[in-house]
Amino acid sequence: MGADPDEELVRRIGAGDAAAVQAMVARKLPRVLSLATRMLGDAAEAEDVAQETFVRIWRHASGWRQGRARFDTWIHRVALNLCYDRLRRRREWTTDELPEVADERPLPDALAGDEGQRVQQALLRIAPRQREAIVLVYYQELSNIEAAGAMQISVDALESLLARGRRYLQALLIGDDGDD
Amino acid sequence: MAENRKTTDVQLDAKRFAALADAYGSALHRWPRAEQAAATLFAESEEGRAILQRADRLDAILDRHHVEAPSRALHDKIVANATTRIRQGRHRRLWWLGFGLAGVGLAGAVAGLALVTVVTPDAPSDHYVMDANATSFGDAGPDADTEDL
Repeated sequence: MGADPDEELVRRIGAGDAAAVQAMVARKLPRVLSLATRMLGDAAEAEDVAQETFVRIWRHASGWRQGRARFDTWIHRVALNLCYDRLRRRREWTTDELPEVADERPLPDALAGDEGQRVQQALLRIAPRQREAIVLVYYQELSNIEAAGAMQISVDALESLLARGRRYLQALLIGDDGDD
Repeated sequence: MAENRKTTDVQLDAKRFAALADAYGSALHRWPRAEQAAATLFAESEEGRAILQRADRLDAILDRHHVEAPSRALHDKIVANATTRIRQGRHRRLWWLGFGLAGVGLAGAVAGLALVTVVTPDAPSDHYVMDANATSFGDAGPDADTEDL
């Protein structure tokens, strides 16, 4: 793993540098908001998650030391944990377990004209772990190793989640499972 | 394990190429770095092109999902929160600094007192004080003269 591109900025934030705070928000807010929006499918909740993520950044910046994960990967993990808290609350799960299987009912016809909304609804239909894998690798463009690190799984397990998730999305959005 | 594959000795067959396309989609820049060079070669084959074309059907749809850029209000709210925390952090640091200095001062006083106690000879006992008119030349007190008489 090379040098962390965020390390200097984090150090400056830890020292109370206001300009570094501005730079960090400009650099990371779009990424955190995209991640939370795609995970939750709700703009207001995604904004709340983004704010809470940054509160944790400010709280931990002064003590941040690069370990195995980059700062960006750590931010993803923090934001994902906050998303999962909300997913559990939203579905009122009686246990901590989130569903491992996708909801394969067809998407509502009302979404036919809005491809963006169809994709969001399809993302919400697949299992959260599959969605997480696809959002991290496809939309956030984390490398396979970074994504696996953020998800705390092996790269092989990540590839399995990605493949299953894409297969469900293919079925929901295109109408086949990609085995043609 | 996929992450352990070395770039130099990676060989891709159609099965692995298809598995990677199923997982990562049609854009090779998202594929595992160690397999990108071999994948680029395989992608030029007819079989490779067909596999990528299939994966690209889903990618083209996924690419239509966009997230609005963060609003100025959200940006400002997050920055304001950070500024407040930094200010509070400074106050806390100053408070701890003052507390620390007071502690150092107190510790210095205690250490000074201890040093004085250790270095300074014990104060003479009451008995010794009563005999304080004794000198190095012997007892020069008034009773000495009396004894000599």
